[in-house]
Amino acid sequence: MIPQSFEYHVPKTLEEASRLLAEFGSDGKVLAGGHSLIPIMKLRLAAPRHVIDIGRIAGLSYVREEGGTISIGALTTHYQLESSELLKSRCPLLPETAREIGDAQVRNRGTVGGSLAHADPAADWPAPILALDAEIRASSTRGERTIPAKDFFVGLLTTALAADEILTEIRVPVLPERGGEAYAKMPHPASGFAVVGVAARVVRDESGALAQVSVGITGVGAKAYRATAVENALRGKRPSPKRLLEACAHAADGVETTGDVYASGEYRRHLATVYTRRALEKAIERASA
Amino acid sequence: MKIEGTYRLVVARDVVWRALMNPKILARALPGCEKFETNPDGSYSAQMKVGVAAIKGTYQARVEILDVVPQEHFRMKVEGKGTGGFLRGEGTLALTEESGATQIAYAGDAQVGGVVASVGQRLMLAAARQIINQFFEAFRNQLPPG
Repeated sequence: MIPQSFEYHVPKTLEEASRLLAEFGSDGKVLAGGHSLIPIMKLRLAAPRHVIDIGRIAGLSYVREEGGTISIGALTTHYQLESSELLKSRCPLLPETAREIGDAQVRNRGTVGGSLAHADPAADWPAPILALDAEIRASSTRGERTIPAKDFFVGLLTTALAADEILTEIRVPVLPERGGEAYAKMPHPASGFAVVGVAARVVRDESGALAQVSVGITGVGAKAYRATAVENALRGKRPSPKRLLEACAHAADGVETTGDVYASGEYRRHLATVYTRRALEKAIERASA
Repeated sequence: MKIEGTYRLVVARDVVWRALMNPKILARALPGCEKFETNPDGSYSAQMKVGVAAIKGTYQARVEILDVVPQEHFRMKVEGKGTGGFLRGEGTLALTEESGATQIAYAGDAQVGGVVASVGQRLMLAAARQIINQFFEAFRNQLPPG
């Protein structure tokens, strides 16, 4: 199918884009890489009357470090994040996650900002964004604001972004000394979406105990979440195999797991415990290297 | 697709029951309800613009309420058809009272087809839960405070 008819706008600046979005309200939809929006428009599951293509706006695609924080422009593609030498050395969780997204074509066109704003419950980015306590910058005609990752994912395909806001930047802290991080994913064999995806970052202290531990999980519930029960069971402790196994049993505590024809809710709950353990094992190993 | 859940209201059961049997309240509670009619045979017909985020469609639905046990329980049959596909389902709804609060327990089984059901199958359960919760929240907001 082809999309229902729409007006296509190509603003040259962020301000122009924000004005258009404010003008069209719920009739307007922002287009970035198009790999979430165009497929649903072609299926006529979404039919926005005005498409605001922000892909030509300069200055929204970058990866840079400023004093311990990495800033990423919303239009940076998954491929650019996958191949960023800066990220490979300063925040390797992001390139590792990017590599798992979709396929090469999707990674070449899809953007981290677009993916996050779409908030697919099985997308990869929400897991590391939550694990890293990222900050998300949003812009509108009303001004700019920062949304912490923990407040960003509100529900199924729903974020804290207001209808007139455009996601402009993501900020993440660099990997600290004695830190390690990893992304472990079970992809759906056809779509590549995460049946479960777990992002973990740990920081060890001198005794080898986990001074910091954070785990973000996608694919399991209606939205991505932090596995705080797992974190609380491990924080401040030495991660022996037995302790790790016991802690990871809580990976889906308090989560209403989603289910479909491929993987039931109970199966996803089980997978969450397995992949959380795998992600943590790798992160811990890397933190000790 | 099987779905079940509970919803708790701090409202007396007979108030909840009367509200569930009240088409005016149902019309305002149904997400995206644009038209709502009671048919001569007692069933309801509704037009709803419903969905999640950007994925919205307009659906014509018909709901039959059957096997009514006043204050306690009823069965319903639902048929819906629209831009995203179709749905045919049966469900039950039961009310229990515990110290001035009412627990609603619902359970249903639906056959879904069309674009939303095929391409969107992995999102269906989460979407159904969200829409059902929207219904109960809008329903609760029309009841007198407990």
